[in-house]
Amino acid sequence: MKKLLLAAMCALLVSWKPPIDLGKVAKAKKGAELVAGASHKINEEEEYHIGRAVAANILGQYPLWKNGELTRYLNLIGRILALRSGRPEIYGGYHFAMLDAPEANAFSAPGGIIFLTRGIVAMAADEDELAAVLAHEIQHIVVKDPLKAIRSQRLKALGTFTAGEAVGSSSGAFGVFQDSIMDISGTLLQKGYSRGQEKDADLGALKLLAAAGYDPGALLDMLKKIQAVEKKKLKAFSAHPSAAKRIAYVGGNVAAADPALRRARAARFEKFAAGR
Amino acid sequence: MKKELLFTFLLAAAALALLAGNALVVQVLRSNLSSKPDFLSASLSPLQKGDRLERIETQGSWYLVRNARGAKGYIHQSAVTASKVTLGSIAPGPKGASPDELALAAKGFDEANEKKLRNSKGYNFSDLNWVMEQEVAVPALAQFIRDGRLK
Ligand SMILES: [Zn+2]
Repeated sequence: MKKLLLAAMCALLVSWKPPIDLGKVAKAKKGAELVAGASHKINEEEEYHIGRAVAANILGQYPLWKNGELTRYLNLIGRILALRSGRPEIYGGYHFAMLDAPEANAFSAPGGIIFLTRGIVAMAADEDELAAVLAHEIQHIVVKDPLKAIRSQRLKALGTFTAGEAVGSSSGAFGVFQDSIMDISGTLLQKGYSRGQEKDADLGALKLLAAAGYDPGALLDMLKKIQAVEKKKLKAFSAHPSAAKRIAYVGGNVAAADPALRRARAARFEKFAAGR
Repeated sequence: MKKELLFTFLLAAAALALLAGNALVVQVLRSNLSSKPDFLSASLSPLQKGDRLERIETQGSWYLVRNARGAKGYIHQSAVTASKVTLGSIAPGPKGASPDELALAAKGFDEANEKKLRNSKGYNFSDLNWVMEQEVAVPALAQFIRDGRLK
């Protein structure tokens, strides 16, 4: 018993730090302008919570297509790609689902909740093309692109709350939470990421497809279809650079794959396609 | 004599803290202690958020670790973070909130704020629950990889 008490005391002495950096709080209280050090690095658990909220927000705008069998097929493809990605394990695990919307599109909420519209699912001619869309979205999650859409002023604002405000029913922290959701949803649904972020996601997707055994050429095949839709002036991946631009940099980077392997997945895709 | 004992103990604790570079903590809700550095290998034991592990060595992007019960196995780097011993891990703070929880609440991206959001217009958490319930077991994934000639 005494030993336990001693051990607890030692651990306290060695490692206890105040939960909130009082120096930062004091600085923050002084003026409206904050030092950059007061902003927070978003951890895995916070990413999960903001991701759930963004996903619920997307589901508030698009109806979920609750097809268990097709959703399971997407989750099998998506999970394999995630396992071969630079971020295989994520707080709440990767989840893939379909939205009942005719336009071709896909969205990744923070924490790995990924949506494909019925339009893009209908456009895919085989499993590798579905995988190509999923691989691009997973790459956004690997490099945490959705979190980068949160304006830095939000996180700086969080640093200004005192312990009491944060623990109590602070409308301030809740306000920042809501504003951050809007920053991300606005970027996913309308504004879009930067050209550089999209290019990285495409080039990363090519490597990811190859690592999982899919044909990287499927991304190019998919982009050509999106280009055809764009030529008809219809909506497709509206928050992304044009398909023509994406084809220009993807085209030169596609590694050759064995077409026989791609055909090996034809039968199970046919089963999936029948349910679309 | 008793003072000496206390001093020795303090020294040992300080040394342990310095060695804490090998102490890892699971940072995802659920993971596995794998028999091989491969997600599709057999699970030796399920792991959950907060479980403490001791790193034995690094193999690529995997760690060979030992769990609290002494079992050795592998875990991927993305599932763990370096361990910090906090007051909260030793004793609950006032009203049960640990310093970790306080720090998290200070940031506002948490369960409590999600609950507030459930009453807001424009959010559909019931459909989200359906999405989050869609799980794929490892044997099914392994089968899917074999059948589709994937890697
Ligand atoms: Zn994108």
